[in-house]
Amino acid sequence: MSNATLQRPAAPSSAGRRARRRPPRRIEVQFRTIISPHQLNSRWGRRVYWTVLVATVVTFTVVFLLPMYWMITGALKSAEEFAQVPPTLFPEKLNFGKFLEAWELFDIGTLLRNTVVYAGGGWLITMAVDVTAAYALSKLRPALGNVILGAMLATLMIPPMVVLIPTYLAIHDVPIFGWDLLNNPWGLWLPAAANGFNIFLLKRFFDSIPRELLEAAQIDGGGPFRILWSVVLPVSRPILGVTSIFTIVTSFKDFIWPLLVMSDSEKMTLSVGLAQTAGAVSQDQVMGGLVIASIPTIIVFFIFQRHIMAGLTAGSLKG
Amino acid sequence: MSIATAGTARRPRPPSPLRRALRRNLTAYGFMVGALFCFVLFSWYPIVQEFILGFQKTDLVNEPEWVGLENFRTAFADPAFGPAWLNTLTFTVLALVLGYGLPFAVAILLNELRHCRAYLRFVVYLPVMLPPAVAVLLFRWFYDPDVGLFNQILGFFSLPGLNWIYSTDTALLCLVLVSTWMNMGSATLIYLAALQNISPDLYEAAELDGAGVWKRIRHITIPQTRLILLLMLMLQIVATMQVFIEPYLLTGGGPENATATVAFLMFQQAFTYSNYGAGGALGMMLMVVLLAFAAVQLRLTREEKS
Amino acid sequence: MKRSDYRRTVGLLLAAGLSMSAAACGSDDDTKPQAQNSASGAAQVNITVACQPAKSAPKERQAWDDDVAAFQQAHPGVTVKSTDQQPCFDPKTFGPKMAGGQMETVFVVPVTNYADVIGKGQGLDITQYTGEIKNWNDLRQDVRDLVTKDGKVYGVPNVHYSVGLVYNRALFTKAGLDPNTPPKTWDEVREAAKKIAALGGGVIGYGEYSGGNTGGWHFNQALYGRGGDMVSADGKTAAFNSPEGKAVLQFLKDLRWVDKSTGAKLFNAWEPLMQAMGSGKVGMMLGAPDVVTDVVNKFKGASTDYGITGFPEAKASLSGGEAFFVNPKATPEQVKAGLAWVDFRFNTVDKGRFDFARGKALGNPVGVPDNDVYGASPTGKAIQDGRKASATLPVENYQPYVDASATIPPKMEPPHAQELYAILDVAMSAVLSREDADVDQLLADAETKANAMLASKG
Repeated sequence: MSNATLQRPAAPSSAGRRARRRPPRRIEVQFRTIISPHQLNSRWGRRVYWTVLVATVVTFTVVFLLPMYWMITGALKSAEEFAQVPPTLFPEKLNFGKFLEAWELFDIGTLLRNTVVYAGGGWLITMAVDVTAAYALSKLRPALGNVILGAMLATLMIPPMVVLIPTYLAIHDVPIFGWDLLNNPWGLWLPAAANGFNIFLLKRFFDSIPRELLEAAQIDGGGPFRILWSVVLPVSRPILGVTSIFTIVTSFKDFIWPLLVMSDSEKMTLSVGLAQTAGAVSQDQVMGGLVIASIPTIIVFFIFQRHIMAGLTAGSLKG
Repeated sequence: MSIATAGTARRPRPPSPLRRALRRNLTAYGFMVGALFCFVLFSWYPIVQEFILGFQKTDLVNEPEWVGLENFRTAFADPAFGPAWLNTLTFTVLALVLGYGLPFAVAILLNELRHCRAYLRFVVYLPVMLPPAVAVLLFRWFYDPDVGLFNQILGFFSLPGLNWIYSTDTALLCLVLVSTWMNMGSATLIYLAALQNISPDLYEAAELDGAGVWKRIRHITIPQTRLILLLMLMLQIVATMQVFIEPYLLTGGGPENATATVAFLMFQQAFTYSNYGAGGALGMMLMVVLLAFAAVQLRLTREEKS
Repeated sequence: MKRSDYRRTVGLLLAAGLSMSAAACGSDDDTKPQAQNSASGAAQVNITVACQPAKSAPKERQAWDDDVAAFQQAHPGVTVKSTDQQPCFDPKTFGPKMAGGQMETVFVVPVTNYADVIGKGQGLDITQYTGEIKNWNDLRQDVRDLVTKDGKVYGVPNVHYSVGLVYNRALFTKAGLDPNTPPKTWDEVREAAKKIAALGGGVIGYGEYSGGNTGGWHFNQALYGRGGDMVSADGKTAAFNSPEGKAVLQFLKDLRWVDKSTGAKLFNAWEPLMQAMGSGKVGMMLGAPDVVTDVVNKFKGASTDYGITGFPEAKASLSGGEAFFVNPKATPEQVKAGLAWVDFRFNTVDKGRFDFARGKALGNPVGVPDNDVYGASPTGKAIQDGRKASATLPVENYQPYVDASATIPPKMEPPHAQELYAILDVAMSAVLSREDADVDQLLADAETKANAMLASKG
């Protein structure tokens, strides 16, 4: 649900960055909020402000970073140190072997490969399906286009969990075709591609592309596919980036659907594999596995932080 | 297909409007084949199927047969049925305070701060990026009464330890806590963006009228972000109706059914007892509740806009 | 240089000649049909089989893989694919796999689920194939009856055991108790638990399940042991709201809240308690000898630490075990190949799982009397002899169990066992998590729910 209000990408605000200046110790205000700049820079205002700031930074660090710190250091501690009461704040000795152990025990190589393949394939298919559909709905405007778009958006009201069982049955025995897509990556990909939200985002963006641009290409003799490929897609890079990132991250985070569809232990995803094996290995080894499993998405976050936040925040404005 | 259309475009005499419209439609539907395939089979069909499934006996081996209300009877007869709805409701209320109110308060606070904004935003969103299974398994360790982080911290302050997920009193709260921890980042950032969109003039004017901080929040901030607040309310309720991974990985629905949610029960009926019909019946009930919420929300939004 | 080359060539030629003549003179049923079969490809059969040991038990896994290779060698044309889900019966995925037709050709079903699987048509009627199992008639009759319904056979019993008390000998020693005289009464169990829990450091005296239907299952074990009953004779009403049922819950409640010897953590599924047992933090638990095997093999328990003794004060013991069932979608060839595999790996003296000599060579714990599926039949005796001959564990640690269980009558599970267990999970988790839990009230509630459930099932 996290990306549900994402609508249109925009540049992130850079307000926070320029706010600091030293000598007068005056708190610079780029834009006014609830507290007025005047209030803020009064003697008491400043004291209160700094106190609140420090308290906030400390609280946030403890609440959000401490658990992760504890996870990482837990994985680095030896089994004895891990079980020690009271615990040590820093590992006595860095034990990188734990990761190797976890890698073997959970068979993370296989799980990670599966997850990457599922996420990558899912991304390609989702984009191919959703971009073409959004383009058709936006620029080719077929009869009943609005009805179809409406029906696609209506699915957003119904969370996947609620239709879990009928969807599972549909995967087990695909209507008309009679395929059984259990333990088959298509069983993950096809339902993922039916993403009304992506289509909505893409269509809205395509709507904003000026007609003249397309008409010029049309006069040059470009067919619809050519226009989509060489005119629409290049100017839509921001929205493609945002939808891509969210599609990939969502598939990495997904749990219950892969749990049901990819039940074969050779085909499990990282999340499911960890959860299934976690009961059978010791807690410190579990931590090693958890650290490894968090790395991919955290890396994505570090690289695409701006896109993710921009996509998330700018989207909300239209409600 | 693209070549064919290109050909017509270049022709000196344009074809009749009807033919052109037909061609345009054919091309458009050609582009939508993939999406229609996916939606029809894996989205629309299951939604319709949900309403049929509840009245059928399905074992995936034989043809489904109509059984009337029997599945509903099975679902009602499940001793965990009542507790599960109560838990889901309690979870929703708790999540409304923690998962809905807290991010808004945090966003207001962050919006007032002039330093470390990038850092704070980064930190609050970081848990959102963790796979939920990782976050939940991590907290399972934190909740351990003997060696878990939380009791260590309580012990550090010489406070008595709690039994966390192993006590009927706190188990559900523990689920809400981990769920809030791993999800609040996105709500916070969305609110933050909405807050940044409020015109400073409004605060300026309110201040001139002598409105204090609380009044400014009540009369400016909240009304100005009302639409987004409504939307997030809906999303929050939708999210809590789906709570599954937390009870599945943390408590198995116990102790004493204290953490069995409707979604959890639905999964259990279908995939533990192979009672697809009863699971479908529960899913249908969830869907009806959600649609009711959606209708109310839509109504409110419409009123708000007009 | 040249010389040695020459020698090597001669050697090779000799070897080749020898092997060729061996092949020519060898009996036909050995090598020839194999070549024919694989060449024609007519008899290609693919089967999947459950229960390959996990990657975390590499030696066990290797032994399994060796068996698969040997089996394929002996049954040309048959390709065996193994699945290594742990535990091989996982209640969380059993349903989806079953429903989705993802079940192996031969799969494991625990005794608790026999009735359900048979009732739902999820297991094939294999009456006509029982001849594939060479020692079929040596399997205990009462165990075979469990997989038989209306005269039709649905499974090959694989494991059977009765309940005992598994205890950690090392903790007994540490707590000043004599590991050679384990508790014989519930009062002694309670005393021992108290002493062991006093060791501290996260050690608990007595571990008990309370969720995921395992709580209700162990309630059933304890109830039978005390002479109680789950349901009335006609199976229509609950019978556990009895003095025996109360005693079960009161005992646990006293341990949890008066003695504080069970720890604050709830064991809401099979793995957590096994994990705790394996890490040497649990003094005692109810369980069959397979607990010892699992704890040592899968949860890294030290093999000599665990002993097992008779079920305290037991009047009856809940039957436990598992059987191999066959996927109803299997073709006759697959059924034959699957059962041949079961026979090869699980039912042949000195082979497969009964190859105790290999187990010993691999350093596995050998000697746990963890399977009573053949009883006192000739096959059963041969297995016991094989086990004793290669025992690496002090068999005397298990003798009390063997002696005691011979005298305790086995008792079947009640009908709708899983549903009853789910109901009783609530009572079990209540006494272990709530100090003010009211035993009478809990049992009365459970009785009401169970009666409603039994009535709805007709």
